[in-house]
Amino acid sequence: MAKTYDYLFKLLLIGDSGVGKTCLLFRFSEDAFNTTFISTIGIDFKIRTIELDGKKIKLQIWDTAGQERFRTITTAYYRGAMGIMLVYDITNEKSFDNIKNWIRNIEEHASSDVERMILGNKCDMNDKRQVSKERGEKLAIDYGIKFLETSAKSSTNVEEAFFTLARDIMTKLNRKMNDSNSSGAGGPVKITESRSKKTSFFRCSLL
Amino acid sequence: MERAKMAEESLETAAEHERILREIESTDTACIGPTLRSVYDGEEHGRFMEKLETRIRNHDREIEKMCNFHYQGFVDSITELLKVRGEAQKLKNQVTDTNRKLQHEGKELVIAMEELKQCRLQQRNISATVDKLMLCLPVLEMYSKLRDQMKTKRHYPALKTLEHLEHTYLPQVSHYRFCKVMVDNIPKLREEIKDVSMSDLKDFLESIRKHSDKIGETAMKQAQQQRNLDNIVLQQPRIGSKRKSKKDVYTIFDAEVESTSPKSEQDSGILDVEDEEDDEEVPGAQDLVDFSPVYRCLHIYSVLGARETFENYYRKQRRKQARLVLQPPSNMHETLDGYRKYFNQIVGFFVVEDHILHTTQGLVNRAYIDELWEMALSKTIAALRTHSSYCSDPNLVLDLKNLIVLFADTLQVYGFPVNQLFDMLLEIRDQYSETLLKKWAGVFRNILDSDNYSPIPVTSEETYKKVVGQFPFQDIELEKQPFPKKFPFSEFVPKVYNQIKEFIYACLKFSEDLHLSSTEVDDMIRKSTNLLLTRTLSNSLQNVIKRKNIGLTELVQIIINTTHLEKSCKYLEEFITNITNVLPETVHTTKLYGTTTFKDARHAAEEEIYTNLNQKIDQFLQLADYDWMTGDLDNKASDYLVDLIAFLRSTFAVFTHLPGKVAQTACMSACKHLATSLMQLLLEAEVRQLTLGALQQFNLDVRECEQFARSGPVPGFQEDTLQLAFIDLRQLLDLFIQWDWSTYLADYGQPNCKYLRVNPVTALTLLEKMKDTSRKNNMFAQFRKNERDKQKLIDTVAKQLRGLISSHHS
Repeated sequence: MAKTYDYLFKLLLIGDSGVGKTCLLFRFSEDAFNTTFISTIGIDFKIRTIELDGKKIKLQIWDTAGQERFRTITTAYYRGAMGIMLVYDITNEKSFDNIKNWIRNIEEHASSDVERMILGNKCDMNDKRQVSKERGEKLAIDYGIKFLETSAKSSTNVEEAFFTLARDIMTKLNRKMNDSNSSGAGGPVKITESRSKKTSFFRCSLL
Repeated sequence: MERAKMAEESLETAAEHERILREIESTDTACIGPTLRSVYDGEEHGRFMEKLETRIRNHDREIEKMCNFHYQGFVDSITELLKVRGEAQKLKNQVTDTNRKLQHEGKELVIAMEELKQCRLQQRNISATVDKLMLCLPVLEMYSKLRDQMKTKRHYPALKTLEHLEHTYLPQVSHYRFCKVMVDNIPKLREEIKDVSMSDLKDFLESIRKHSDKIGETAMKQAQQQRNLDNIVLQQPRIGSKRKSKKDVYTIFDAEVESTSPKSEQDSGILDVEDEEDDEEVPGAQDLVDFSPVYRCLHIYSVLGARETFENYYRKQRRKQARLVLQPPSNMHETLDGYRKYFNQIVGFFVVEDHILHTTQGLVNRAYIDELWEMALSKTIAALRTHSSYCSDPNLVLDLKNLIVLFADTLQVYGFPVNQLFDMLLEIRDQYSETLLKKWAGVFRNILDSDNYSPIPVTSEETYKKVVGQFPFQDIELEKQPFPKKFPFSEFVPKVYNQIKEFIYACLKFSEDLHLSSTEVDDMIRKSTNLLLTRTLSNSLQNVIKRKNIGLTELVQIIINTTHLEKSCKYLEEFITNITNVLPETVHTTKLYGTTTFKDARHAAEEEIYTNLNQKIDQFLQLADYDWMTGDLDNKASDYLVDLIAFLRSTFAVFTHLPGKVAQTACMSACKHLATSLMQLLLEAEVRQLTLGALQQFNLDVRECEQFARSGPVPGFQEDTLQLAFIDLRQLLDLFIQWDWSTYLADYGQPNCKYLRVNPVTALTLLEKMKDTSRKNNMFAQFRKNERDKQKLIDTVAKQLRGLISSHHS
């Protein structure tokens, strides 16, 4: 089958129930917003193709249920993720406090080199804000992670968030490929990432 | 013979002469001429003269004889007379003396008498003058009174005064100049009265037009209060019960009651016999409008002999006003007040006409009013049809219906037939139903859009009872569970159920006061409810189910929800039975078809689940990136497929509340779709060549699928049922990987064939792709015996397959 894309990036959305993970994904993939809160059951995903540096990148974005009872199922998807977005709700301080717990989950179940990003969602509801932007920024800096405040409802920073994460993944991938090329002379280096990366590496070797 | 004739003529002549002589004797001298003429006209005047002479001599002899007889007396008289002459002379002298004395002494008396004569003359003149004046004064008084009455605008009394003046007083003094002036003025005054009365009438018409709204409003309020009283008397109002009310009674106005007293003039003269308590609270028409101008004007025109003119004018003007009143405002349909004002005007108009009918003699008659009402009814109904069709608010339609009923009842009290209005109300009812359906479409859409498609959580007995109170759900096991617990359905179930009941109440409301039987009401409600369920709610559910981005969460919950709503339909049946009191066994009762709606919705949701899952599978398959020319063999299935299987596994794991049959069908559908899609990947034209290694990698993926099928992701399947979805792929791959062509070709067509499900066309297509691979390396073939042998085998098998295909076609 002829591939219709150059790279496949798998992203994961995690965070407390009700912070807006599904809404962010919906805005990014369908450019639409649904005011009714429908709790995600288990796991779902959407795919959108973007273009970076002339390359077609297929983003497969997994949307996880934030409820505790689905934790076993959702955790199984951490391993395959190349990028993870940790989402909290600026109007819900508890969801912000739980970001630390989500980060611990990532460290426990995800690849060590996974790209991460913190999103403070619902920034359009400033009148009900409980978490200042500064606190969000500080938390991200403490962990060496990028930070953005977003609003799925008003479509603020949603594209920026996903593109930023994708670009960072691409940068890391390019760096790995360059390292592989330079050490190629010394012998083949096996890459255990997704097949698409392997294929790309293979073509580069030929060139 | 001649003698006889002459004798006859002589007799005639003699008679004639005798007649003439009698005429001369009796006729005075002035007329003797004609008599004598008649003598000379004849030719016998000679004989006449003889007769005349004879008669003269006779008369002379008689005179002489008489003189002889009275001679002595005559002489005595003469003697006496001479004596008297002497005495007379004496008396004369005496009288002359007396006269001279008297004249001398009576000179003063004569002067006094002269004065007295003068005084008596004056007195007579004065008396005559007084008599004349006595005759003239009433005329002047009457005229003055007339002027006063004109000035104070009491025109009917003025007219009576004028008539009296003209026919009673003026004839007696018609020869005076000032009376002539009066007589000349009377036509002008009469005309002035006429004109002023007409002006008053116009003001009156303007007044009743202005107050039509108020009059109608009060009449409607009276009817409303009467209805309230009737309801109290009945204790509990029955649907369709007819209301009866005592008709207002008016005393016919008596023109003769009019008097000249200013105080009385202000009184309209209407004797209102109404003694109802309501009147103390709500004023009647006569309290709002002064009807006296029309009465006065009517009588004035009657007296003036122009009653017919007046009647025609009045009716003509009122017809014009009727047309104006019946012209609805262009935006009447926007608010209830628009309709109310329209109805008030119409009611006011006809209340006034009814009042005129009962308080005048012939100004308006029943035929005239009926004609007006006929026109009014048709125009009103046409206007209502037009404007009510613009209403999109069912509450407004309902209020309008109540207003129309009140309008009809009010006019019925005044004797106007209103059956057509009730007929039209049945039309409005249909429109009301449509409006309700539209409203409820919005209601359902809001409910479904705002639902969270999650089971309703309850944390306390109070909350539990509240939900069970809204929706008839009974589950002993759930009831025993400790809190917190969940109902299986989401919030839209009790909400939809309650809205269906609200709809039924709304339908029932419209039927009140329409004089319908219970059976009719029940039938109408069931029909409307069926439309609500089979069309409105069905469309709402279908719209949600077909929504572009609906998720599995919503679809699964809809299946559960519709199951519970379906079970609740029998309770809706009971609900309708209770509020209409029509037993279900009644003949011709319409049944509810709600269960069908919910079954259809559930089927649609199930289909959508299958479609949704298949779309997810397709998205994964688009990620497939097989290297069909690879010689390397990986040790595990493709990444995309591993993710796909994991997704399916977790999906079926979390939707444990999906009904078993649906879950099984969904799982089977997904597996079949996956198998079909993988087969297409293998056979598609874009893949021109493939290696055995690629085929082996593909085989690893298929094994992953089979592993999923064997693992029993959904309970309830027979042991190998789910794996059957992949059997075609399995046999095809086994055939090629094991290169078992001898068995395939030898057993083809046998019922127990090992590769029964491998189609020769499919096999040939795949074989051609492998052959191409071999041909690519042809330049080395001569150097490798093994390759040459394999090439020959491929050619042989291909030829055999073509043979099978050909023979199959023939």
